[in-house]
Amino acid sequence: MSALVVDGLRKRYRDHEAVAGIGFTVEQGEIVALLGPNGAGKTTTLEILEGFRSRDAGRVEVLGRDPGDRAEQRWLRERVGLVLQDIAVEPHLRVRETVARSAGYYPAPRDVDEVVELVGLAEKRDAKVKDLSGGQKRRLDLALGVIGDPKLLFLDEPTTGFDPTARRGAWEVVRSLRDLGTTVVLTTHYMDEAQALADQIVVLNAGRVVAQGTPETIGGRDTARTRIRFARPDGVAPEELPVVPTEIDETNVTLEVDDATEALHRLTGWALARGTSLHRLAVEQPTLEDVYLSLTGDAAGRPEAAPTSRRQRRRNRRAA
Amino acid sequence: MTTLNPVAVGPTDETTDRPSRRRRSDLAVLLHQIRYEQLSFWRNPQAMIFTFVFPIAFIAIIGAVFGGGEASDFFYGRTGMQYYTATIAAVSVLGACYGQLAIALAARRQTGVLKRLHATPLPAWIYFAGLLAHCLMVSVIDVVLVVSVGALYDAPVPADWASVGVTLLLGSVCYCALGAAVASLVSNSEAAPAVVQFVQFPLVFISGSYFPIHSDTLNTLAGLLPVKPFNDALLSAFTTGDGLHWKQHGILLAWGVLGTLIAVRRFRWDPRPE
Repeated sequence: MSALVVDGLRKRYRDHEAVAGIGFTVEQGEIVALLGPNGAGKTTTLEILEGFRSRDAGRVEVLGRDPGDRAEQRWLRERVGLVLQDIAVEPHLRVRETVARSAGYYPAPRDVDEVVELVGLAEKRDAKVKDLSGGQKRRLDLALGVIGDPKLLFLDEPTTGFDPTARRGAWEVVRSLRDLGTTVVLTTHYMDEAQALADQIVVLNAGRVVAQGTPETIGGRDTARTRIRFARPDGVAPEELPVVPTEIDETNVTLEVDDATEALHRLTGWALARGTSLHRLAVEQPTLEDVYLSLTGDAAGRPEAAPTSRRQRRRNRRAA
Repeated sequence: MTTLNPVAVGPTDETTDRPSRRRRSDLAVLLHQIRYEQLSFWRNPQAMIFTFVFPIAFIAIIGAVFGGGEASDFFYGRTGMQYYTATIAAVSVLGACYGQLAIALAARRQTGVLKRLHATPLPAWIYFAGLLAHCLMVSVIDVVLVVSVGALYDAPVPADWASVGVTLLLGSVCYCALGAAVASLVSNSEAAPAVVQFVQFPLVFISGSYFPIHSDTLNTLAGLLPVKPFNDALLSAFTTGDGLHWKQHGILLAWGVLGTLIAVRRFRWDPRPE
């Protein structure tokens, strides 16, 4: 039995079709990332799967049951964990009490202290919720999502606002849950998060699935053309190069090729024979972010934006 | 952070639930919920103090004004303190059950606390039963405080505790239901206190809570609304103790049923309407 089956799902808000026929399947023990720009239908889809919203059309099965059926609600809530964005807990309870309170609602909860430790709040166990930082509150949300020992866990942007260490920690939690057989469905705006965690990626845009696959193959990433870039050697005219550049200006040369081995051989052979150095030589496959941006239509106006912002982020992370 | 150990009984298999995934009894969950509802209340000193200081201050001021007065026709043959001990106790129950519950529910919905709860398997009726138990507890404490302070100004202690108990129970249930109904009808938490006051203030006024009303028309009208029946039942339970008050209790019950119906049909957990 699949953990999650979505087929022909539709949801309309007045004149706006938020979900326009979405279908995908998630097997047990998989981590699936739903990607898409704001307004793509991610949250609406999640809320329908979680039983918070009704659907207009389509088939939905969560652990084999229909989340739209109120009679199934308690059974599903006992087996599905949620970490949502617009939620909060009583501000005046302590951290451990908050987790213990939720534990009491489930038939077979995890150990309270183990879960508090798991999300890295052991030192804050006696702090009041209102005194936690934003990131610590999100970690408490994660604790509340897993305290019931769910078979299926929905994570809506689980690491937004985390510092880098806390993010890595949260990834470890998600992976160890998967290793115990928990199915995880998450949404994220961080491509590195999807790359690091997901077994399967579903990209949504304007209420539809525009691509689906593993992080390595999605959107033809594995078969896409390789991009080779290097600094334009002084005084070399485009005609002198042994390859045909896709793009060339005063400082840079870029080419996209099907066979990188052959192109590189010709290029480096030419450079060595001429005694020229190819400064900043780089060979790149399209990143997940490149693929994502081209799928969701954001890349059109600024093809260079993706790699730059990605490097920028990595640099920021190192600085932090 | 550490990695996760499997729960003692091991991962679930696909077809059957493991033996331990059996539900706790509803009673056990209810007691658990009542315990934590109480814990979050007592952990919030500001809310706690205002809940209890308000009725004490109110009855103390009334005592300073009316203490030691004679029985008079103005107070239907009772002393001022006899009259006000009952009506101030009634107002504090109204505030604790109707006003505070409506405002608290609206605020909890707005902040996402209710949505978080709704994501757990906690049945809605247990959540509301926990709130009702809390409101009952606050009501009993309020009444005891008002009666105790009233006694300092020579208001006699209630004549018929059984009747006080039944009236208090019915009143609390009715006002909690109406509080939940109002919370279901207002859509944002900023509006909740204003809506609560808009309903409560005129109602308390025409029901004789602050001064006795000697208009037959007004009394007949107010007698059909939820506040005056509670005042009257509590007043006679406090002073004359002439048994149960079927008419007043019936009217409270009817309002309670109406409030419950509205709440059941219209209550939302989600801060954003669909």
